[in-house]
Amino acid sequence: MRDYYRTRVSRTGPFTAWALLVVIFLCGLAPALRAQQADPAGIALGDKSNAVDAGGTPFVVPEPTDKADPDYATKKKAFDDYQAQAAKEPLAVKLADTVGHVRIATNFGWTLNTGYLVLFMQAGFALLTCGLVRKKNAAHLMMLNFAAYVFAFLAYYVCGYAFQFGAVAINAAPAGLGGTPTLNSFLIGSGQWGFLGGKGFFLSGPGYDAGSNVLTLFQVVFMETAGYIIVGSICERINFWGFLLCELFVGALLYPIFGCWVWGGGWMSQLGSTMGMGHGYVDFAGSSVVHAVGGFCAMALAVVLGPRLGKYDANGKPRAFPAHNIVFVVTGTFILLFGWMGFNPGSTLAATDFRIGVVAINTNLAAVAGAATAIVLWYFMFGKPDISMGCNGMLAGLVAITAPCAFVGPNASVIIGVIAGVIVCLGVLFNERVLKVDDPCGAVSVHGYCGWFGAVALGIFADGTYGAGWNGVGATTYLGKAGQGVTGLLRGDTSQFLMQLGGATLCAVYAFAFTFVVFKIVNAIRPLRVSKEAELEGLDVPEFGMLAYPESGDEVSAAV
Amino acid sequence: MKLIKCVVREEKIDETTDALRALDISGLTVSRVCGHGTCERQTVVYRGVRLESRLLPKMMIDVVAPDDQVDDVVHVVTETARTGEAGDGRIFVMTIDEAYTIRTRQGGVA
Amino acid sequence: MKLIKSIIRPNKVDEVKDALDKIGIAGMTVTEVRGHGKQKGHTAIYRGKEYNIGLLPKMQIEVVVADSLLDQAVTAIVIAAKTGEIGDGRVFVTPVERSYKIRTGEREAI
Repeated sequence: MRDYYRTRVSRTGPFTAWALLVVIFLCGLAPALRAQQADPAGIALGDKSNAVDAGGTPFVVPEPTDKADPDYATKKKAFDDYQAQAAKEPLAVKLADTVGHVRIATNFGWTLNTGYLVLFMQAGFALLTCGLVRKKNAAHLMMLNFAAYVFAFLAYYVCGYAFQFGAVAINAAPAGLGGTPTLNSFLIGSGQWGFLGGKGFFLSGPGYDAGSNVLTLFQVVFMETAGYIIVGSICERINFWGFLLCELFVGALLYPIFGCWVWGGGWMSQLGSTMGMGHGYVDFAGSSVVHAVGGFCAMALAVVLGPRLGKYDANGKPRAFPAHNIVFVVTGTFILLFGWMGFNPGSTLAATDFRIGVVAINTNLAAVAGAATAIVLWYFMFGKPDISMGCNGMLAGLVAITAPCAFVGPNASVIIGVIAGVIVCLGVLFNERVLKVDDPCGAVSVHGYCGWFGAVALGIFADGTYGAGWNGVGATTYLGKAGQGVTGLLRGDTSQFLMQLGGATLCAVYAFAFTFVVFKIVNAIRPLRVSKEAELEGLDVPEFGMLAYPESGDEVSAAV
Repeated sequence: MKLIKCVVREEKIDETTDALRALDISGLTVSRVCGHGTCERQTVVYRGVRLESRLLPKMMIDVVAPDDQVDDVVHVVTETARTGEAGDGRIFVMTIDEAYTIRTRQGGVA
Repeated sequence: MKLIKSIIRPNKVDEVKDALDKIGIAGMTVTEVRGHGKQKGHTAIYRGKEYNIGLLPKMQIEVVVADSLLDQAVTAIVIAAKTGEIGDGRVFVTPVERSYKIRTGEREAI
């Protein structure tokens, strides 16, 4: 009797993981012991220094320090006037403290709640991917999605967040959340050339802070998105311990490193001020940071694993493995769309940033444009609209708009969605027929290719109506205009376009190469794939000892 | 005693089983099956890949009847299950060597 | 005419189908079944409680062929469905006395 539940458990995999954790803990312990004053209950957070008017002018006028500044005289007068007025109306100053506090509170609520929406996307992706695979692997898919959230989160808690945001206060402090001043040191690099953050390991010390935790919640669910993207391409043949290693890798290293470079105040975001490349590398909500990283990691893993048994016949022609539950696929897609209402608008990290409505509309426009394109294109190519491709088209549009959503208008959003719909359809066929990379849920096309495109599209379509002062560039004027924001090729900013093209491509290469090297080595030490028998039977019982849909036979056996 | 195995269209099952019951047969067993014959073939395309000769859902009715009832059973099934289009189904008749009733523990050589 | 009833692994259905197609056997009926032979099944565990999945999912393919094609058909099925491991399945052959086509109502010559 083959008894899958009691198969010999390897000792080397878990041992290596624990050894790694101990090393990282010791790395994190030193800085944690020298902890700066963090504010875990937010007692000192939110006062008149956070009070800002509609135009972004702060209530508190800062004292000018640079006597050589040509505007010194004007600034000094403004400061003196403010001091005089503050002395005359102390109650107004107290009111400003309350206003500042409420402003922070509003943004806390906004960021946390949009973060919860993104968390809910886990359920959407679980349903989507489960529905797209064969019935015999349904429990396996659900467990991959579930375990992805669990283990990647723990990796992010240990060191991922610290690597990504440990230095965020230096160049990219989230003003709407109070600036998280305790996260102010790079582990590798410094100033405007940071490569890895160094504060907040184990979310302790400087990481145990009210503002920091809000940021953590929001950012961890974004990391989780990259973490579950890989499930779509490695499912139906990866074994569980190998999968856990992938998730720990994504949560601890792959995602946070690139995330630091772009969102944590790292070197890519600073290329605008250091090397004149537009506003530096810009990615509003993560077409590249989240989706392309996940998509190209997924591609590398799919290449390492190889295609599913029976996917390609003796002549190399692909076989179809139809989805076992289209109901799940569509429901999952709707949940993802709903969650994206948190993913994109939430990335302002502030409800006080009134661009959020535009972001929400742009996101939806690209989503429906992508879906419509996929449905119509597939109809013309194959004679019938394909429901699963329609869903992939919607997700493609969403992925592609994720970077540019705050910087473009409605028409550009539709165009971006349409192009993404075309890319995903052709991408799925290209991967399956030409590259022969077996991608059960189309993750590489939806997230990899469209993620790259989204970051580049920002460099083409950004219209300059938002983002003045982004990454510290052009706060007063940009391209000769006051208040000009992030601008793309079509409005005359070539350097931004080149920055986006280079940055997006670097993202793809980084994610693919890093993952490929690491897991080629891991696979050589111990294969990541399940046995042939387990794969043919379906991974539900061999890996987890239970079926997603126990048939009547099992109920009968267990009943007595 | 004969086993009459009929493969019919899904939507014909109620009509056919009702008609069979009217014949006063001892019982029947119905299974959900899939399959195809010579004439009825269907090709579908899933995400750009062709699936040739898809197995189509059908219903299979197994009836065991004494030799003198076989012609009636065949006639009834043919009449009710037929549409005239490809995919109507087939009927096969086989000999039963022995038959037993579990409740009464009776039976033997047919 | 003979009825060939084969119980095979679920992942072998396409191969068997293709193999039968190659020798010109067009019609078949496929049923999802559960069962076992010498292969006793395996133990699953649900929330700490072990239980036996004795009835394993298999596929039953029924094909009716002329006597002259019988050996070819059985060989084709066995070769396509075989893996060499326990659980490959069985093939049973029974005679068919009569066969009818529902669409035309005709009795077929054996």
